[in-house]
Amino acid sequence: MKLRGALVLTLLPILLLSGCSAEDNALLVYSGRSEALLGPLVEKFEQESGLDVEVRYAGSAELAAQLLEEGENSPADVFLAQDAGALGAAAKAGLLTGIPDEIYSLVPSGYSAADQSWVGVSGRARVLVYDPGKVSELPVSIFDLEDASWQGRIGIAPTNASFQAFVTAMRILNGDARTLAWLEAMKVNAVIYEKNGAILEAVEAGQLDAGLINHYYWYARAKDVGQAQMNSRLAQFQAADAGNLVNVAGVGILNSTDAAEQFVSFLLSETGQQYFAQETREYPLVEGISPADELTPLADIPTPAIDLSDLDTLAETLELIRQAGLI
Amino acid sequence: MKRPPIAAVALGLLAALASLIPIGYLLLRLFEGFEAALAELARARTLELLLNTIGLTVSVSLTALAIGAVQAWLTVRTNLPLAPVFAVLATLPLAIPSYVLALGYLSVFPSFSGFWAAWFTLSLATSPYVFLALSAALISSNFAAEEVARSLGKNRWQVIQSVTWPQVRPAAFASVLLVALYTLSEFGAIAILRFDTFTRAIYNAYRGSFDRTSAAALALVLVALTLVVIYFERRYRGDRWQAPTAAGRKRRIDLGRARILAAFGLGIIGLFGAGVPLVSLIGWSVNQTGFDLLRLGELVASSLAVAIAAGVVIGIFALAISVWNLRYSSRLSGAVDLTAWAAHALPAVVVALALVYFGANLVPGIYQSIWLLLLGYLILFLPNALGLVGTPIALVPRSIEEVARSQGLSKNAALTKVVLPIALPGILAGVALASLTVLKELPATLLLRPNELDTLATELWQATEVLAYSQAAPYALALIIIAGVPALALNAQARKLISEVS
Repeated sequence: MKLRGALVLTLLPILLLSGCSAEDNALLVYSGRSEALLGPLVEKFEQESGLDVEVRYAGSAELAAQLLEEGENSPADVFLAQDAGALGAAAKAGLLTGIPDEIYSLVPSGYSAADQSWVGVSGRARVLVYDPGKVSELPVSIFDLEDASWQGRIGIAPTNASFQAFVTAMRILNGDARTLAWLEAMKVNAVIYEKNGAILEAVEAGQLDAGLINHYYWYARAKDVGQAQMNSRLAQFQAADAGNLVNVAGVGILNSTDAAEQFVSFLLSETGQQYFAQETREYPLVEGISPADELTPLADIPTPAIDLSDLDTLAETLELIRQAGLI
Repeated sequence: MKRPPIAAVALGLLAALASLIPIGYLLLRLFEGFEAALAELARARTLELLLNTIGLTVSVSLTALAIGAVQAWLTVRTNLPLAPVFAVLATLPLAIPSYVLALGYLSVFPSFSGFWAAWFTLSLATSPYVFLALSAALISSNFAAEEVARSLGKNRWQVIQSVTWPQVRPAAFASVLLVALYTLSEFGAIAILRFDTFTRAIYNAYRGSFDRTSAAALALVLVALTLVVIYFERRYRGDRWQAPTAAGRKRRIDLGRARILAAFGLGIIGLFGAGVPLVSLIGWSVNQTGFDLLRLGELVASSLAVAIAAGVVIGIFALAISVWNLRYSSRLSGAVDLTAWAAHALPAVVVALALVYFGANLVPGIYQSIWLLLLGYLILFLPNALGLVGTPIALVPRSIEEVARSQGLSKNAALTKVVLPIALPGILAGVALASLTVLKELPATLLLRPNELDTLATELWQATEVLAYSQAAPYALALIIIAGVPALALNAQARKLISEVS
């Protein structure tokens, strides 16, 4: 009797749970962007298109690893990733079928894969945040920060994914040896923080002269306290080096169906672009759609020439950062 | 030679086959890029990782053994004041996922990182395994022999060394094996505290460079390390199944004034293991505004359903293997037992990706369904249940079973009507421990869960991913409270045994 009770107790949850799989949906999206961010937009898409969308949320890198294992037999139709490296890995494994011309051409080149395997959706720029009272002469290049005059004045967050993507870009542009030298100089000059937000706070509070962060931290804070109240300013490196990297969240198609293309088009529509711009304060990438804030226009940022798909070698980057003693 | 029940053999072989999936997958990846893998292993960095990993594993194992042994001995064998309270405190860290423990400390001490931080966190997180195993063993050990030794003029420490320790050594070794393999495979806390081990390097290879060959090479080193650890455990644990001698009067040892000091010491350990992380979690919650209670209810329900289902499945397989290997032991049953353990030090991400490959390409019918998730949990956590389920089954004297057979009961009936009821508390303890580990599990759950199945652990991950600790806190607290139920059930058993000693 007891045994039977136990059996029912086990089978019941299994039955309940097996109910929540294997629905026949029009579209399966793997999303590396969080449910809190993407969920409402997906709902809007379902209403507009009348399609049923199922979304699998996890980290972008985990989903890319999952796609690599699934190979040809992946049930996913669309892969939406937080950063270009994860998309690059899926593209290099030949899993992405490519973006149709009319969608791909919406986004200026440089923010999508050069081989048209995926397209950028929103962008975030690396910037120098500085205290104008303490920094009179802006560094022209990211490598100017190696100078002894910067000792103890520049903040970095080596464990942050955006910092690591920027170092990967530096490796691609300048080589591993040069990058290691820069990291070693940072070991001497830089003040280490856990997060971008903490760097911004320190500069705002006058504890730190400058720091390397993503642009949207500054605008999120400016929105909270009012732009006039901000003590710090943002600047780009005029040398067009890795210090100005614009990394993107992007989307690739694994199974080119009409529904998949509709979804990708929706992300690049006015609605989709405005939504990301409002929620994340990132750059919309489609031309003619203006950002949520008074951002430096993307076209005015001296971005380095780099195929974002190549940002898929994070392990080597981590090793250099570790070798330099920064993590 | 008696024939084992067919069901036990079938389930045992099935479990062994399941455990071979990740190892087979790793070999496949290894041979795809054999030279790259060799190059990966030949790097100086690999040696550094090896030393880091071994250093952490040995130090955590010894510390957890020391903490768990002291807690068990004091609460079971002495007149420690408030012994039941300290017994609960000793089990409580089991309910706290180690990444939450690490985050809790990190939010209080921002510079908490590196070897010592990892050692500290993992020692606290794993000591309950030792405590549970040793408190059960200490109760069934022979008290009379200790008193004889005392009367022969040996001092207290000599008695512990020469009489008590040999009796509890098998239990201690089995639990330290769990601790060691836990440390080898741990990722969450290690990543948060930034200490480089094999597991962290494997995750970086997968997530950073999508380099499956290096990841496989490193993971196979972990399997080799596991086999070494298991070898030493089997070699030195001593005879596992001494029948306990029915001792006469069980008297608690009078600690005298030292009892206050002992209580103080255990209080400090409890404060570190459960107090600090809980206080910092509650601190996060205070900043919490607008919180969806209905959503929390749904998550609790789905977490419980998954954990209970997985716990029972794991319990059934553990029972089958234990019955087979302990009562009808053969070379094959030993091999099945070893196979179940061999994959236990593999990081969850490796097991999960192996099952992603296996599921998507070979059995698409169960891919991204609850069944593949349960299979993943079975591979990951079968060993957690094996120890607890096995001990009581081994301790049921064969004579009882023989008497039952002589009364006309069939072999299987003797097993189900006589042996299993006696071993039931141990079996339930195994189910409880497995359910609790499943509740806390994150990496495999994320990769293998059915689409849109959210649990407390995945929601907690979503919240910490956007670094909103205040949003994460209610889920973390709910997780700890729910995981506290099996933890307390395990503890109630220990405590019941404690009250028998008086």
